[in-house]
Amino acid sequence: MTIDDAALVERFPYLRIDHDTKHHFRGWLDERLLINRCDDCGRFHHPPKPVCPSCWSASLAPTRVSGRGVIHLTMLLHQGPPAPGVDYAKGPHPVVSVDLEEQEGLRYTSTVIDCPLEEVRIGLPVELTWIDRFGAPFPVFRPRKDA
Amino acid sequence: MPRNPIRDEIAIVGLGSTGFSRDSGGRSSKALACDAAIRAIRDAGLEAKDIDGIVGANEPGGPNPNQMTAALGLPQVTHFSSPTPVAVFALVDAMNALFSGSCDTVLLYYAYQRLPWNSRSAAKDPFRRIYPMGAIPAPEENNPSAAYAAWASRYIHEYDAPREDFGRVALNMRANARHNPLAVMKAPLTMEGYLQARMIREPLCMLDMDVPVDGADAFVLTTTERAKAITRNPVVIHAATVGLVDKNDEDQLPNLRRHGQHVVVESLKAKSDIWLSDVDLFFPYDGFSIITLGWIENFGWCKPGGAGRFLEEHWDDAAGSVRINGRIPINPHGGSLSEGATRGSGHLREAVMQLRGDAGARQVANARTALIGCGGFFFNSQGAILQRL
Repeated sequence: MTIDDAALVERFPYLRIDHDTKHHFRGWLDERLLINRCDDCGRFHHPPKPVCPSCWSASLAPTRVSGRGVIHLTMLLHQGPPAPGVDYAKGPHPVVSVDLEEQEGLRYTSTVIDCPLEEVRIGLPVELTWIDRFGAPFPVFRPRKDA
Repeated sequence: MPRNPIRDEIAIVGLGSTGFSRDSGGRSSKALACDAAIRAIRDAGLEAKDIDGIVGANEPGGPNPNQMTAALGLPQVTHFSSPTPVAVFALVDAMNALFSGSCDTVLLYYAYQRLPWNSRSAAKDPFRRIYPMGAIPAPEENNPSAAYAAWASRYIHEYDAPREDFGRVALNMRANARHNPLAVMKAPLTMEGYLQARMIREPLCMLDMDVPVDGADAFVLTTTERAKAITRNPVVIHAATVGLVDKNDEDQLPNLRRHGQHVVVESLKAKSDIWLSDVDLFFPYDGFSIITLGWIENFGWCKPGGAGRFLEEHWDDAAGSVRINGRIPINPHGGSLSEGATRGSGHLREAVMQLRGDAGARQVANARTALIGCGGFFFNSQGAILQRL
């Protein structure tokens, strides 16, 4: 399903989307995590940029990644911006930056679900899953079942 | 060896500050900026007609340089600009404008006000509601500056650092602020009090984050040649730099050992004849406590991961704060954590006050040199070395 730019913005009123990031967020609607990969040198980068920062090629392919990785950074937000399903009064909201397995140092940041807070730790293997936020898919991580 | 033809060629000849508070008493950000600016120009022994350059940090809700030129009645200006925060961006712009001949005397100002989204009391001020926050970010967004807590988690993980390492940063600043009449946070702070403070973005608590304030700092800069003619105690800028690496998106930094601070340190060291063994004053930025630990290590005061231990080893129990080698204080004004969130202008002002010998009860005897590490890891790392002539 491909929708036009105006419809894309309407589906994600809380995001700042532009021509460099539109492919990434269109992927969310299909529950596909698309990370820019250079057609010429094969390197991934994130967040999406208009050219490949490694070789300056403008030939970039938003490429589906596995979403598997290992937690590299963690935060527990005891207060913060409002979001559906986030209730700081009930406990802190975890935010993790995950090293994706496709490339060293390629990270994706989101929350982690189905995981007790004391197990949200650097080094934990995680995988991608999707939740609903404002009626649209939102990518999150959960502990890897095969790990 | 990088070129540094500007070395010691630009001087700071005027200082003005309103002091910092959590309530400016009904004064606008522009009023605070004017107050600090007039003090600084008078401190330099100059008048409105002498100012032909004006550089003002682009702070939310702060006055821009044309508004300030109008408010202060500066008759003719040939350089004006509005660099992004934090403090050394504007300092470098002012220096370069003077050195290139764009102007002869610069008014440099920084005006801060608490905003409706970072201060509950500010949200009650009807005149502050006009400042829009823009789209509300998702809780998972890193920008701007949220990821300091995330990298603090990495620091703790890699170096097995206890919370006390961060606590010593907060305690040092608070003990120092108690001797600074301009500071906002003066209540005594103990390690127990630090460890009990409310978590905000764990592992960082409220006392790891700077305090939003109302207030302004201003400086007058001119060429060193001219400074010698108009003041008895010019403080010169020996070297200044900013630093950035390619992977500077907050969650994409390569690691804790390669980011903007490392570029600053390499650049500053190469430009400077003065280094750690010659330094009398040390001003590491402390918008977040993790940034201070980073500066201590990255300047080379100790090895990576050793900042907490370094603070402990150089702690002066009588002062309740750090004296490196029994002598060098760290942010003697109390830093952003306790003087108030001046985004580095407080560090710069205190460096100049100390080098002039005007720091009162906080004065470091015979201070001649100051090392400043301003900003953090991602998009605003900077440094400067000042000295008394």
